[in-house]
Amino acid sequence: MKNVPDKNILLFKSCLVSVEYPGIESSTKYVFDKIGVDYHVDRAQTCCTGLGHYSDVFDQFSTTVNGARHFALANKLNRPNMVMMCATCYAINKKVANILNNNEEVRDEVNQVFDDCGYDWMKFNKGDLDSRENIFHIIDIFYSKRKEIAKNIKYDFSDFNIATHHGCHYCKVHYGDTIEGIRNPHIIDDVVNACGVETIGWYDFKRTTCGSGFSQRFVHKKHSLTVTLDKLKSLKENKTNILIHLCPNCHVQFDRYQTYVGDKIGEEFNIVHLNIAQFLALAMGADPYDVVGIQTHTVPVEPILKDLKPLSKDNKDEIIEKVSYKVDLDESEDFNMEADTVKVEVNETN
Amino acid sequence: MVEKFREDSLDLEEYISHNIKSSKPKGLLKCVQCGMCTSVCPAAQHSNYNPRSMVECVLEGDTAVIEDEDIWYCFYCYTCHSICPADNSPCEVNQVLRQIAVDKGIADDHLIPFLGFGDSFLNHGIGGIPENFFPEMKEDIGDDWWDFKTHLDDVRNHLGLDPVFPSEEAIVEVSTILKSCGFEDRINKIRNHHKDED
Repeated sequence: MKNVPDKNILLFKSCLVSVEYPGIESSTKYVFDKIGVDYHVDRAQTCCTGLGHYSDVFDQFSTTVNGARHFALANKLNRPNMVMMCATCYAINKKVANILNNNEEVRDEVNQVFDDCGYDWMKFNKGDLDSRENIFHIIDIFYSKRKEIAKNIKYDFSDFNIATHHGCHYCKVHYGDTIEGIRNPHIIDDVVNACGVETIGWYDFKRTTCGSGFSQRFVHKKHSLTVTLDKLKSLKENKTNILIHLCPNCHVQFDRYQTYVGDKIGEEFNIVHLNIAQFLALAMGADPYDVVGIQTHTVPVEPILKDLKPLSKDNKDEIIEKVSYKVDLDESEDFNMEADTVKVEVNETN
Repeated sequence: MVEKFREDSLDLEEYISHNIKSSKPKGLLKCVQCGMCTSVCPAAQHSNYNPRSMVECVLEGDTAVIEDEDIWYCFYCYTCHSICPADNSPCEVNQVLRQIAVDKGIADDHLIPFLGFGDSFLNHGIGGIPENFFPEMKEDIGDDWWDFKTHLDDVRNHLGLDPVFPSEEAIVEVSTILKSCGFEDRINKIRNHHKDED
């Protein structure tokens, strides 16, 4: 498995987490504290430009200038490991790092902008920050800490049918960096397993986009929600109670629009939407309103909470043992021989 | 990078391959028109958008594709990018085509609704959904969502989180660099061009 950091982390704020589901940020902090991750959130951080970028308002050069400032900030704070709560921030920042490291002409132009503005400290030198070594998503951190997660579980979610939705910009943009596959992405499933819960695994449309399409939800609403509906129908056929997300944009698409879509076709879906950080925080016993922030959700989370049972000591010991065995197997060299060979090939693309 | 697309030539493919956005510069010419991209494309399934034929137009130097309305239905989901056997990225080809349309001044209608992203960034240092979409969202999602939006600061405070906006110093910094690199001019040009057309 690739080397995932647990210290010197700059936890990168996401605009959609901040204004739609702030409980994702407080849950991430709660879980990071429990599993021993050293992080910092900084008010000098602005935003990745993602929503504007993929609505074609931001050009790649402006996004790159903005990203370079954040890389300089991360290094200035001595927190070069940038960890994202949003799939879009993840893809945007990785791409910016690749451009700055590999395209000398653009790097010089970006540095010229900083020169012109008198911001010498923002200048980027090749290698200052590496896409693969320094930029991660919280799901990567959780995955690398599955043993610690298992030790901190207090509630039993095993009576629920749980499915996962892997944001496209986590697993399809920089797919050479994605842990645990892109054809059948299952890194969230593996993290949920660390709480002693088997997910429903593969389902029809598992790999499909949420349908938000950045601009599509706003200007081609029917087009956008038709794609969302494909997925919701498949989830319903699989009797899903909870869908676990890793991206706030997908979360908005499903949580905010599920009832709207259902009303249009006269169907009820009754699927609760949680970010993986919120799910872990709840499983670890965090307060639903003071930490997890379920009061900002559109589909009520309460029906799930009332059926939650505390985990017995015997069950917990069994989960810890199973997770420990699984993680040791995943990390063993023999098991990873083939994966490492593939990694060499994908290294060639940026 | 700063070079503009030359309309009178057939360098569409070359321009796209060398564009700052293209992370797979060698892939475009390797396209064998197998259609895998269209097979897996959610937009192709639900609209007239067809990434295979879009790439065919690019390879043939058919610049009419820049004005094709269908390209504006792509979700930017990168499924084609992740699965192309020739290591091409139709998704990024699409993004560059849209940028050419923006530069030509023929994409104003597509961008005007989203200029709020740029304004918000320049003034407050953060993105977020532009306010012009709020009335429709309120109607679609419901009053509870709107109630939460109006009490966002209280909720964040309750969760022990910092204020939404970055520090004043950070806003000044980001606004300064975005003006210097031409971003402010870019969105003002779109807005003014649109007003002139009206």
